[in-house]
Formats: sequence, C-alpha cells, structure tokens
Amino acid sequence: MWAMIVRRLSVSVVSLILLVTLVFFMIHATPGGPAYSILGSHASPQAVAALNRQMGLDRPLSVQYGIWWIHLLEGRLGYSYIQHVGVSHLIGTYLDRTLALDLGALSLSILISLVVGLVQGYWAERLGGRVIGFLQIVFYAMPVFFTGILLIYVFSIRLNWLPPGGIGHHGWGARLRHLALPVLTLALPVSAGFSRYFGHQAREEYRQDYVRTARARGLSEWRIATRHVLRNAVRPFVTLVGMMIPVLFVGGVLTESVFNYPGLGWLLWRSALDQDYPTLSAITLLIGVLTILGNLIADLLNSILDVRVRYE
Amino acid sequence: MNERASRRWGFLPLLRWGTFGRSWRAAPLVMSGLTLFLALLAFSWLGPWVYPQSPYTIHPHRLFLAPSLQHPLGTDDLGRSFLARMMYGGRPSLGVAIVGSILALLIGLGYGMASGLSPVWLDRVFMRILDAILALPTLILMIFFAAIVPLSPLSLILLLGLLSWPGLARIVRNEVLAYKERDYVLAARQYGAGTGYLARTHLLRSMFPIVIVNATFTVADLILTLAGLSFLGLGIQPPQPSWGGLLGNGSNLAITGSWWLILFPGLAILLAILSMNLVGQGLLNRLEGR
Repeated sequence: MWAMIVRRLSVSVVSLILLVTLVFFMIHATPGGPAYSILGSHASPQAVAALNRQMGLDRPLSVQYGIWWIHLLEGRLGYSYIQHVGVSHLIGTYLDRTLALDLGALSLSILISLVVGLVQGYWAERLGGRVIGFLQIVFYAMPVFFTGILLIYVFSIRLNWLPPGGIGHHGWGARLRHLALPVLTLALPVSAGFSRYFGHQAREEYRQDYVRTARARGLSEWRIATRHVLRNAVRPFVTLVGMMIPVLFVGGVLTESVFNYPGLGWLLWRSALDQDYPTLSAITLLIGVLTILGNLIADLLNSILDVRVRYE
Repeated sequence: MNERASRRWGFLPLLRWGTFGRSWRAAPLVMSGLTLFLALLAFSWLGPWVYPQSPYTIHPHRLFLAPSLQHPLGTDDLGRSFLARMMYGGRPSLGVAIVGSILALLIGLGYGMASGLSPVWLDRVFMRILDAILALPTLILMIFFAAIVPLSPLSLILLLGLLSWPGLARIVRNEVLAYKERDYVLAARQYGAGTGYLARTHLLRSMFPIVIVNATFTVADLILTLAGLSFLGLGIQPPQPSWGGLLGNGSNLAITGSWWLILFPGLAILLAILSMNLVGQGLLNRLEGR
C-alpha cells in the first residue's frame, strides 16, 4: 500500500512541475514578452527595456525559471496591473465564493442523485426507470452555459423570482438568493453523472437475495430502501466524488461566467479577456493545483477504503 | 476469426449502405446518433444553398424580429438573419472539433503505440508522464492558452488537438499490451515482420473499434469545449458566427426577451454533443456485447 501511495504522490508531483513549467513558458511566449502586456502594445522600447530590467526579464530564461519557482514556493504570486492589487489578495477574496458555489452544488447533487438513483433502481424494469435514464443522458450532455441562460431567462427575466447574477451583499438571505440559480445550474450535470452510476448500483442491490429475504420478512419498502439498499449502494461514492471533481471545477468556471458570479472561475475568465497575465497565470496555477490535489485525495481515499485497489 | 474478434468487428456492417434498415433495428442508438449528426453537418454545409442569405449583412430596419415565415429563426441585434448565422456558425463549431479530434487521435495513436511497444521500463516512464498530463485541468489550460495565442480556427484546432490526446493515448497503449503477445502477432514477428509493420497491420486493426468509440467521445468533448470557449469570447472570434459565440451574444441580450437567440444555438450545441455521445455509447454497448 505504501508503494502505491508513493507512486501516486510522485505522479502528482510530476503533474505540478508540468503545470508550473507550462504556465511559465506560455507567459514568456506572449507577443513581445510580459513587459508589453503590462505597458500595452504602444509602449516605447525604452520603457519596455526599463521594465524588463526592473522585473529581471533581461536575465537568461533558466535564471528566470528558477526565480519563478522560488517566488511560487514563497507564495508570491505577482501583482495585477489591471486591478492594481497583489494577486494573493485577489485570490483570498474570490476563493471562498467559489468554494461556497462548488460545495453547495456538490451537496445538492448528492442529495438529488441519492433520491433519483434509488427510484431508478427500484423502477429499473419499468418505464419510469427508462425515462430517468434518458433524462440523465440529456442533462449530462447539456452544457452548463446553456442551462444557466435558460434558468436566467425563465426565473429572472420572465418570472422575476431570482436575481440573474452577481452576488448579494446584504445579509444571508440575499446571498442565498444569488447562489440559488448558479448552484442549481452546476448541480444538474453533476447529479446526472452521479445518479446514473448510483442508479446502476441500486439496481444491482435490488436484485440481491437479501432484498427478497427482507421483503419476505414483511419489511416496508421504505425500510428496505433506506436501511439496506442505500447503505450498500453508497459505498463507491468516494470514487464518484473524485471522478466528478473535474466536472465540478470546470463547470464552475463556466457557471460563474454565465452568472457573473465573482469567484475564481469568473476571475480567470476576466483576466483572460483583459490579458491580465499575472492574475491569469496565478489563477491557472491555483485551480490546477486544486484539481491535482482533489484527484490525489480521491484516489488515496479510494485505495484506503477499497481493499481490491490496495492490493493491486 | 475467433468469437471475440468477430464481436469487436460486429458493428462494421452497420456502416454499409445496403443494410440500412437492419442497422436501425440492430443498433438504434448508433443509427439515431449518426443520422442526427449528419443532419447537423448537412444543415451547416448544405443549408446555405437552400437558404442563400448572408450571415453578415446588417439590416437596421429589422432588429430583434421573432421567428416567422419570412425570417425562420428570427433576426439578431443587428438585423442579420439568424438562420443564416446558425448555418454558417455550424461550420467552425463542428469542423474545428472534428479536425481537432483527428489531430488528438493521431497524437494519441503515436504516443500509445510508442509506449506499448517500448521496453517495460520505458513504457512505465511514458505512462507516469501520461498520468501527470491527465491530471491537468484541460479547460483551465485552454482558457489560459486562448488568452495568449492569437485566435483563429487553425490555432483553435491545434489548441484542442494538442490538449486532448492523453485519454486516447492510454487506451491505445492498453490495447497494444493486450494484443502484442497474441499468437498471430508473435507468428508474424517470427516471419520477420518489423515493428512498424506489426503496428500498422495487426495492432492498428485489432484496436480500431475501441479507438473509434473513444474518438467519437472526443469529438463530443471538443464540440462542448469549443462552444464553451466561444461562449466566453475566447474561441471563434466575431464577426464569424459560431454556435457558442451566438449563444454568448444571445445571453448578453437575454434582457430583451429574444428567446430565439438563446434557444436555437443552445439546442444545436446540445444536439451535436448528444448525437456523438449516442454513437459512442451505442458502439460501446455492441463492443461489450450488451
């Protein structure tokens, strides 16, 4: 098992090195180099040279690469020349909004998929099960930016029930109202993925002998569902959460952009459009590191929980 | 041909014309997905012949017209025919994704073959690197790259292709490992066949079905990714229309109540992704003998 953990850790370390290196070289491949993107494309050559010297951009690339690593490890992420604040400060403000959205969507989708999956498993051979299966395929293929706009159009513009975007600043009520549509948008594809898997699992459990025994003993269907089927079918959930982490992160970026919800994904999008390279590279690195860590934690948890993986 | 091999090849007759009706009954998922996708291709490439209107001509006197007989899908904020824009928008939306997938497929085949045919220690190195690449968040990197490189259909093809091959590479490598010790491959090697010949004739043919299935899923993924990028303003650049870009524009204009500017491009993207997923899932079901 320790060998497995060491191997898995080394893969994550290589991922991180790759990510950091890719971002470094892409930033240096920007047209005219980073100085031009800070000063604008009409900057005088003297100003560019001065800034290059000041930022150490006239040194050899290998030296700059080393310095880049040292700065990252010290947590110095650079300065946003568009928003005029340190990038670490920006990230501090935006990260918890993204976490609120992602955790909200994750909890909602777990709730939805447990209910839908149980029903699907119970109805496996009937029309209801097939209808659920079809809806799962559609919602899984549905791009979050399409779902998001449809929800905005119906609930904000036509019905005027919920705000079309942004973030509430006055109290918890407003904040929750602003979160409702983005959370639902992000939760739909994730719950389609979850419930498809979980429904399959529940269906297998319903076929087991112990369910027939329980029915013969006269237990109610509700009790069978909650005490027996649910308990056995949720076991692979950790794997599933790990598998859905990329969907959640990527979907989160798009959802935040649709709803103008100022989280990390929105910041990534804005800094890409504004060509604010310090912010852009810092956010890319941050989301990248979070994804890699998320995958790592899910894999490790999975191997600890599942004996079959452990002895592979 | 043994039973397993014949099952792996079993879907090929579906692609022959003479057996059209039988194919529908045998593989409804594959055929409905394929029909839907071909319809979308025809809409984009042949549509302008049937409905010859310019997607660029601005008509200030007919802004935001709802769908009617005269303007089948309505008009947009500059009075341009939305049907024409949808047709011309399908070309980059589908074309870039398809060509990008072919590029990803070629890179994946090369990397997977190289890894699978290498000595065991080198194969391990190849696979660890691949694991590391797979853990990178692709869409995040694409947004990052899209902010840096000048955007054109060609650069988008390269971007999509160069970032989405790792999944295919792993499948190819696993298939190589599964087949390279088979008797017929060993026999060919005994007859003096070179590695390149083995890879081309034996391995490539054996893995063809499973690779095609995954290439299909890659097309669906790339259609989604490209639509997402264009939606964000980081993909196909206006004034050239694309489904993602049209949807993005429609969402900015949602407040005007122009539902057709949202619904049609969104549906087109959804149907394109859905059709390719149906084909992939249907082929997969047949491969696994379900």
